[in-house]
Amino acid sequence: MEWLNPYHLQVASFMLINAILGVSIYVTLSTGQLSLGNAGFMSIGAYTAALLSTQHHVPIPVGILAGSLLAGMSGILVGIPALRLSGVYLAIATLGFGEVLRAVLINWDSLTGGAVGVAAIPQMGRVILAWAGDRGFSPRSLGLQNNQFISLTVFLVLLLGTVLTVVFFLRLSRSRVGRAYAAIRLDESAASAAGIPITYYKVLAFSQGALLSGFAGALFAHSTSYVSPGDFTYHRAVEILVFAVFGGSEHIFGPVFGAAFLTVVPEALRSISDYRYILYGLLLVLVVIYRPQGVIDPALLRRLRRSGRETPA
Amino acid sequence: MSSLLSLRKVGKSFGGLSALSGITFDVRPGEIVGVIGPNGAGKTTLFNVVTSVFPPTAGEVAFDGERISGLPPHAITRRGITRTFQNIRLFSSMTLEENVMVGRHCRTGAGVWRGVLRTPGQRREERGIRGKTRELLDLVGLSGVDRERTAGSLPYGHQRRLEIARALAAEPRLLLLDEPVAGMNDAETQDVFGLIKRVQSLGVTILLIEHDMSLVMKACDRLVVINFGRKIAEGTPEEVRDDPQVIEAYLGAAEGDADA
Repeated sequence: MEWLNPYHLQVASFMLINAILGVSIYVTLSTGQLSLGNAGFMSIGAYTAALLSTQHHVPIPVGILAGSLLAGMSGILVGIPALRLSGVYLAIATLGFGEVLRAVLINWDSLTGGAVGVAAIPQMGRVILAWAGDRGFSPRSLGLQNNQFISLTVFLVLLLGTVLTVVFFLRLSRSRVGRAYAAIRLDESAASAAGIPITYYKVLAFSQGALLSGFAGALFAHSTSYVSPGDFTYHRAVEILVFAVFGGSEHIFGPVFGAAFLTVVPEALRSISDYRYILYGLLLVLVVIYRPQGVIDPALLRRLRRSGRETPA
Repeated sequence: MSSLLSLRKVGKSFGGLSALSGITFDVRPGEIVGVIGPNGAGKTTLFNVVTSVFPPTAGEVAFDGERISGLPPHAITRRGITRTFQNIRLFSSMTLEENVMVGRHCRTGAGVWRGVLRTPGQRREERGIRGKTRELLDLVGLSGVDRERTAGSLPYGHQRRLEIARALAAEPRLLLLDEPVAGMNDAETQDVFGLIKRVQSLGVTILLIEHDMSLVMKACDRLVVINFGRKIAEGTPEEVRDDPQVIEAYLGAAEGDADA
């Protein structure tokens, strides 16, 4: 079981959290709204979960649920005035929202711990290990070290969260609501003439994106056991955007792929340390030039599916 | 006889520019009414006011006896008025089928949870949407085209028909067609004429903007003529054709009048 090293599992866990963040920007984008506020909504989820569990000893799942819902509700509050804006103006306003929120986190010392952040957040893996240990379970019975078991459970919980998220939004995109989203993205006036209430669906998509960011944030807090305002800067907002630009934003698999790939690349390239971000940047430039719609688009998926059918295993 | 759509002194101005003023007329159930007039007369503005793309600045629009001016566009669609656009507005990267399915939106109800959980009711509804879509594609003469093709890849004439199918998907009682045969040859125009008559026979009332006079004369029960944002004539195609004001609007004043 040597290969199950906590470092690899941690990289894989960040891949999954980033994949959920990728889906969060995709959902809002699927109605044609570019939100760069998802780092901000992520911080709402992360801080809510962190504070509930450290100060009020709320069970982790309840804290994650509360963090997600609070982020989703904030999404409604931001989404309604955001209706007046579109394109880059919306992007700038939501980026501003994220930065304002971060300033609040830094300055509201008594609640958030200021720039230092919140430490000693119960870590999912440790909590599960302690719970299982009370019932006489030992990771050794699976041939695992304690730290391997902890990293593995975190990974599995995140995997479950990611799979549920992707299935949820994949199904949504193929339903009546998903068709309404796509219609709004493609032509707002034609969509409203076709009987689609634009305001309702734009706010719905915006708050779904916010809720997902909050969900990712809450999972992040309980995976790393430490959050600070530095985790939710505009770098994070841009990183989330890059997942969608690189992977593609026309199909949910685009940002999921983008998030997974772009999380692994810098880690895989550690051996050439100094040059790895040059390569990362080069990769982005190449994709933007040669595949402006992103690596994954519906046409590519159709081709893959067809070739899969023609060459039966 | 009661009217389905009635406009009372409807006006629309953009800033100081008056695009429509004092427009009053009625459309009775089952009719095909043509709206004609020179370019820039305000015909499309009239459609935009009826469908609430923007509200009128004066007067009111009533549908089936109830005031509709001021309602949001999707609510107008829900009440039973749908339209096509002069410059076709399809969802070009969606498939043929999906375009029509979007049109079913206001007659169906599955929300987020039912869509994600795929409840039996939701699956039944989706089957219904697909069934209706096939029926409509058949009605507009697109049943032979691959339903998986994207709307943007269709030839022009097919795009016009697809837009009509999408508009019909919402089960309108009143259909507004904005130049449905613009840019078509005689044979295609003839086909669309047939389609308009078929739609009428399904009980849909039609308000039609069109420049093709042979089509207008043949298809319409009554005509409303607009020039410079005002109604200048209304009546049967024959009455309108012989109206001196209409002739003047289209052909300019006779020399004798110009001297006067």
